[in-house]
Amino acid sequence: MTRRLRRLPGYLFLGFAALASVFPLYYMAVSATNTSQDVLASRLIPGSNLMANFESLVTQQPLWSSVWHSTVIAVSTTVLAVVITSIAGYGFEVYHTRAKDRLMGFLLLAVMIPFAATMIPLFRLFADLGMVNSPLAVILPAISTPFLILLFRQASRSFPREIIEAARLDGLKELAIFARIYLPTMRPTFAAAAVITFMTAWNNFLWPKVILISNEYQTLPILLSNIRAGYVTDYGMLMLAVLIASLPAMVIFLILQRSFAEGITGAIK
Amino acid sequence: MTTFRKFTAGAAVLTLAAALSACSSSSSGGGDDTSGSSSSASGGGTLSVWCWDPNFNIYAMQAAEKIYQQDHPDFSLDITEVSWDDLQTNLTTLAQSNQLDQLPDIFLMQNNAYQKNVVNYPDLFSDYTDSGVDFSQFPDSVVAYSTVDGVNYGLPFDNGTAIQAVRTDILADAGYTVDDFTDITWDQFITLGEDVLAKTGQPMLTGQAGSTDLIMMMLQSAGASLFDDAGNPTITDNDALNAAIDVYTRLVKSGVLVEVNSWDEYINTIVNSNTAGVINGVWISASIQSAPDQSGLWAVTNLPKLDGVAGATNYSANGGSSWAISSNADYALAADFLNSTFAGSTELYDTILPASGALANWIPAGQSAVYAEPQEFYGGQAIYALVVDFATKVPSNNTGVYYYEARDAVGVAITAILNGTDPSAALEEAQQTVEFAMGG
Amino acid sequence: MPAEVGATPSTSPGKTSRRRSRPPSTSTGLERRRSLTGWTFLIPASLVILLMSFWPMIQAAILSLQTGRGRDLSFADPLWLNYQRMLDDEILKQTLTTTFIYLIIQVPIMLGMALILANLLNDPNLRFKGLWRTAIFLPSAVGLVSYALVFRTMFATDGLVNDIGMALGFLDSPVNWLGQTWSARMVIILGLLWRWTGYNMIFYLAGLQTIERSTLEAAKIDGAGPAKTFWYVTIPQLKPMILLTAIMSTNGTLQLFDESYNLTNGGPGNTSMTISHYLYNVSFRNSPNFGYAAAISYVILILVAILAAAQIKIGDTRD
Repeated sequence: MTRRLRRLPGYLFLGFAALASVFPLYYMAVSATNTSQDVLASRLIPGSNLMANFESLVTQQPLWSSVWHSTVIAVSTTVLAVVITSIAGYGFEVYHTRAKDRLMGFLLLAVMIPFAATMIPLFRLFADLGMVNSPLAVILPAISTPFLILLFRQASRSFPREIIEAARLDGLKELAIFARIYLPTMRPTFAAAAVITFMTAWNNFLWPKVILISNEYQTLPILLSNIRAGYVTDYGMLMLAVLIASLPAMVIFLILQRSFAEGITGAIK
Repeated sequence: MTTFRKFTAGAAVLTLAAALSACSSSSSGGGDDTSGSSSSASGGGTLSVWCWDPNFNIYAMQAAEKIYQQDHPDFSLDITEVSWDDLQTNLTTLAQSNQLDQLPDIFLMQNNAYQKNVVNYPDLFSDYTDSGVDFSQFPDSVVAYSTVDGVNYGLPFDNGTAIQAVRTDILADAGYTVDDFTDITWDQFITLGEDVLAKTGQPMLTGQAGSTDLIMMMLQSAGASLFDDAGNPTITDNDALNAAIDVYTRLVKSGVLVEVNSWDEYINTIVNSNTAGVINGVWISASIQSAPDQSGLWAVTNLPKLDGVAGATNYSANGGSSWAISSNADYALAADFLNSTFAGSTELYDTILPASGALANWIPAGQSAVYAEPQEFYGGQAIYALVVDFATKVPSNNTGVYYYEARDAVGVAITAILNGTDPSAALEEAQQTVEFAMGG
Repeated sequence: MPAEVGATPSTSPGKTSRRRSRPPSTSTGLERRRSLTGWTFLIPASLVILLMSFWPMIQAAILSLQTGRGRDLSFADPLWLNYQRMLDDEILKQTLTTTFIYLIIQVPIMLGMALILANLLNDPNLRFKGLWRTAIFLPSAVGLVSYALVFRTMFATDGLVNDIGMALGFLDSPVNWLGQTWSARMVIILGLLWRWTGYNMIFYLAGLQTIERSTLEAAKIDGAGPAKTFWYVTIPQLKPMILLTAIMSTNGTLQLFDESYNLTNGGPGNTSMTISHYLYNVSFRNSPNFGYAAAISYVILILVAILAAAQIKIGDTRD
């Protein structure tokens, strides 16, 4: 009884946080089924305009090709980023020397400058490489970020060094230790890294807009930006587009969240 | 095992990305040609265009394409949809990184941004000197936006002529008609508005807080602006601005104008019948008509004019945009295409007006029968002919290279004034802000 | 008793010694070879960053010493003119103040809430775990444009928040939330909390999985309540992750753009505008002044670097 009561504040806080989190999403979902006029009047009950909104969306905008481009770019970015930054983070921590620590600190400076300031030199760089309008120009700058490296480095700190030593005594090569021993135990970290990289890549707007000048590889955030550009915005259609654009990141989280729940203790022993 | 899977996945992705970019380079090779410099090699040719709004500008371009194809069967357009903000970012990026070969042949530009872009990045544009376009067939005030040192850089398209649209049903409840709001001054407007508010509870106007749209319209209606002819800011000692701010303050304080916080809310007050009227560029008509239940209840008239200001009129403009030919264009083709459509085809304007509400700036189009047709939504008024007539009476003014800085500074000043700051102090600060921005 | 509980994790022998000293070097040759292996591990990621970020940053540094409009730029006289100019920039001062207000209020609340939520979700006996976790994470999946739209509508004068507030009796008359300086800032802060708390929670959830359950059990056996276990056992072990999120959030807040641009558009009267929003205006909205914009961005870089260094100094226990 008392134990239950003690849990009550926790449940209340969780319930409050969950409700507050979900409510605006409910509003968004309901709006996707309403007419533009109803959305503006903050109607909170589902309407019957979903199919009409969908109809206008697919006839006015290249929805499916945008979904496809966003998917290819976000998935490629995520896989590449997780592979190269996890090795780097492991390298920084497990083999850490003063020089490597300094390099890490130096690399961190790279994210501390607003993108608006470096965008034009970056554009010039890719233009010189002949990569304007290439999806690779969107993927490459995003596959290595100091934060991801730092995430893996920070997470590696709690990885027991004794295990590495033991593996070395067993005669395992360094890369094999990383792959066979470290990798499986760090699943929650990999899941977190994948979720955030995917989300960042999926919602990335400014750089893709600038480098993908022709609409050949138009992504979803660019589509959303175009919907709002006219004299008359169809808010029902906009909310539906937003809903569709939000779904994949949610799905990725649903898939990967099992990894967050897995303890590592079992894996180590 | 896991590593193996991971790395195969990685390799697969790399291959995929490489394949994607390979097909990109092959197909954008074609794309490059269209936006490249020598597309006329094939005779008919393709022109690439950047503009926004599928229901409006893009629709108009497609209609123009069809008309030009009647005489040039090999001609086609390659239209890229870009919102104005993004288009400006792209132009700035290309100009700043000197990658002008990525420019399309034609792009659309907001009239208010013309001076800034032409003066800062002249090499983005080709001028219209050799285009054959007769600019005397466009209202002077509209041509002035895209004219720098006497040279034309834009072909006016989207009409920004200001209108006052009123709800005749609400006015009738207060015992008025649209005629009572025609050819009046702002003093008269406020008196009438207070009466309408008292009798019906409805404000006469809605506006975004901190937005200077209405102030800028009042300024232009008297041929005034925030800069003198030499380009120096004239925010202090500006009679028209002082009068406009005085009117605006009274409008807000009396409740005749209700301020909302965003564009969405602004549109909401209109389509959900929370205002008896609206003053804006004629393009606001598209939003007004998005509430079909209000059909027949609207009427259009001219604006109130400023009292006691030299050169004050009942006519003004807000926004609008013009077609620019880029420095990277197939100039001969682009000029001929624009000259035979947007500056020479009544058929084009007759097509796009009923379908999209895109109103011509090209004066000859206004004489067409389509413009004289009564509009059911506006209670049978022939509003398009009316607005084309308004357009010829709008005074020209000087937008200025530092238009956005000045407009934003005045917006900050208005917010301060409405919160009780002394107007002359607030405007002095705005003047300093603009002078600072111009100083670097 | 709290003292004992507090002592439990930090005196656990393996951990501290592991942190403080390197593995004993059996042979320097082996050491060197391993260090070399380390370098090969981190070189690909580092090269990408050096090329894609530092090269443009060097260009921006050069740009910050130049003045002029458009592409017509020349080196300033004196060279630091753009930096000197900032001292007289009232809008810059205003936006800098506003940004720091966001930083000081929002980041601690957000990280605290994320920590508590992650800890609650890590309770093995909690019911409907997946449901809570998903619900709280979902906001981070929503695009910025749409969330700004939803928040703007909710906080409109005739919007939902006022309706509810008046129905429940908290408010006597509708509040113009977005029309007043402090309430507009508060809406931005609420928006940030809504959007980013679940995001930070993910890092803590991942971090919590690497904490050995046995230390928590030990604390329980020692008779520590959940609050004490959280404070004295969980938090110290999560320190590396807390440090990471703190640096990330500081950086994110000092570069905050979308909320200011989409939610309030900087209003009323620039009072909710962030530095990055101002930087964007200087570059793309106003008559472009890229030299000055680059100088402002270096000020942001320096501020983030100082704050990050301070956080590392306080929070990084390894060296």
